[in-house]
Amino acid sequence: MGWFYRRMPSLLMARRNLTRTKVRSVLAALGIVIGVIAIASLGMFGLTLRYSITESLGDIGNQVLVTPGEDSDGEITERQLREIQVAVGSDGTTVPQKTRVTTVSYGGGGGGARGGGGSQRRVVTGMDNPSLLYEAREGEIPQPFRSGALIGPQLAEERDLGVGDAISVNGSSKRVVAVLRGGQGFGFASPTTDIILPNRDFQTRGYSQVLVTAESSTAANETAVAIRQGLNGRRELVQVQDFSSVAESIGQTFQALNLFLIGIGSISLLVAGVSILNVMLMSTVERRQEIGVLRAVGFQKFDVLKIMLSEAVLLGVIGGVAGVVFSLVAGMVINHFIVGDAFLVFRPSNFLYIGLAFGFGVGTSLLSGLYPAWKAANERPVEALRS
Amino acid sequence: MAVIETRNVVKRYETGGETLEALKGIDFAVEPGEFVSIMGPSGSGKTTLLNLLGLLDDPSEGQVLLDGEDVTGLSDREQTTARKRTIGFVFQNFYLIPTLTAKENVEIPGLFDRDPTLEDRSVDLLTRMGLGERLDHKPDELSGGQKQRVAIARSLVNEPRVVLADEPTGNLDRETGRQILSEFVSVTERDVAVIAVTHDELVNDYVDRTVRLVDGLMGEDAPTARGAARAAKRDAGEEGADPVDEEVAEAVEDALAGDEDTTADGEDALTGDEETASDREEGDES
Repeated sequence: MGWFYRRMPSLLMARRNLTRTKVRSVLAALGIVIGVIAIASLGMFGLTLRYSITESLGDIGNQVLVTPGEDSDGEITERQLREIQVAVGSDGTTVPQKTRVTTVSYGGGGGGARGGGGSQRRVVTGMDNPSLLYEAREGEIPQPFRSGALIGPQLAEERDLGVGDAISVNGSSKRVVAVLRGGQGFGFASPTTDIILPNRDFQTRGYSQVLVTAESSTAANETAVAIRQGLNGRRELVQVQDFSSVAESIGQTFQALNLFLIGIGSISLLVAGVSILNVMLMSTVERRQEIGVLRAVGFQKFDVLKIMLSEAVLLGVIGGVAGVVFSLVAGMVINHFIVGDAFLVFRPSNFLYIGLAFGFGVGTSLLSGLYPAWKAANERPVEALRS
Repeated sequence: MAVIETRNVVKRYETGGETLEALKGIDFAVEPGEFVSIMGPSGSGKTTLLNLLGLLDDPSEGQVLLDGEDVTGLSDREQTTARKRTIGFVFQNFYLIPTLTAKENVEIPGLFDRDPTLEDRSVDLLTRMGLGERLDHKPDELSGGQKQRVAIARSLVNEPRVVLADEPTGNLDRETGRQILSEFVSVTERDVAVIAVTHDELVNDYVDRTVRLVDGLMGEDAPTARGAARAAKRDAGEEGADPVDEEVAEAVEDALAGDEDTTADGEDALTGDEETASDREEGDES
């Protein structure tokens, strides 16, 4: 310790000066503590919120929807499907779908005593492997899917349908084998009011759309590009939509939210800065003669500046360290209640915010110390020594 | 050669459109090892002169020479460096840094120099001042006299040529004042000049000569009994002077110690003297 102070005499002076007016120093550092906590924990809060929401959004970003393009015959052929499968590769899944508008009646056929009855013109979807996209809330999704019908949860509720009930599609009766689970994100596969039949129930040969699920949103984006390049030459045979841009804009929204929260936190640091400015100014006024003596015995202006700035920075570092400790505790509490795992606070991206808050804290102290230090350094020793 | 010298120095202050002439042309020089006191009533310009000598302030006219070198009009940085190298300060209020120990206070002038001998020098100085036992005491644990000794040690740590003392006995009782003044005498024995600005007649018992300042003008330059003795001895020859010097100094000191009361009572009379001096000066000018 002695060695250290011999190397950094201005720190020694600064430390002794801060301990001279302990309560005042503690209060000034407390401002920084609060500021650092505000920035760090608001930043972590935003991050945790984002984490928990993206978790519940599910695989929004990694789906690609391929539909027939302007120059096609209105459908995707088997050959195009194979090309799409090649483009997707083995890491993703491909679900070709057929759609048709037809008459559906509920509670019609068989002995369906329950159900609201009535019929409507609506879209029904056909696919062979719905288990790749959906989960069943009730019943089970057959694999492979060869007969029966799957219905969305909202439709099941509206029409009071359940597993075993029958619906009539284009005149032929289908038994409901499963009610799908809803709320799995809001990508292309959200089965709220869908009716899903096996592809073989459709007469058409081509597909009306192909839903590709990739491993991640980046992979989805790459797949989309690959499909466009592979299938579309001069003519637009297929149209490819992917959600990566949507995922990106959701990410940006959260970034903005985070910045906003940090902005609020910064205001408290600003207040802390003013309080340090005040403390340092008082200190320079009180120690005017002392500083005059230092100048008289041969301290250059810069030396005085160094001592005063060390004091401000020391306040900032002490406040910053305390703030970081408290923020980690606060972050653990936030993570415990939002995500359910307190130790998620040690995610690397959280440390970005903690480092940012610490840096802001020390920076604020340094900035607030500048004016008082400058003032002290530029005081003429003759004036300062006149008592 | 004079270690510090002023040549026709004038200092003017501007206050509210009015110009106040604090020093009206001072010629003043101090030899190495000389102990000089500057006396005069309040407002006579004593402190202004001390500030100019200490390179804390610039004269409006005239020159200040340090070791024969003109230091007037130097930049703040150069003045600070010159101050650090050549001049030590002792103040009436001691002005020790309350958060630092006695030893650290003495080290202050060289704090940023990373000088490995600094600590030894300061311990040595404090030990010589009789404070060897109090190196790690903070100023508030020291008596007034001890504080002033620490301040003297601080003024000497950079081995200056001149020590400037502003009312060094002002905050001390008489007995402690005497001790501090004999410390100054031993400082001059190391060829360091001491210039003390003071109201305290006691100081005159120790100095080689007294300079009186009245209304910004230099009055009589009176060698004291002690100074005359030293000067006579100096004329008698350098060799073997020291032991005699010691003896004479001691003798004078003893004699003066007995006179203490007389000196104190004589203060009123002194003020009268000064007025006469000022009258005489004005007469000279016209």
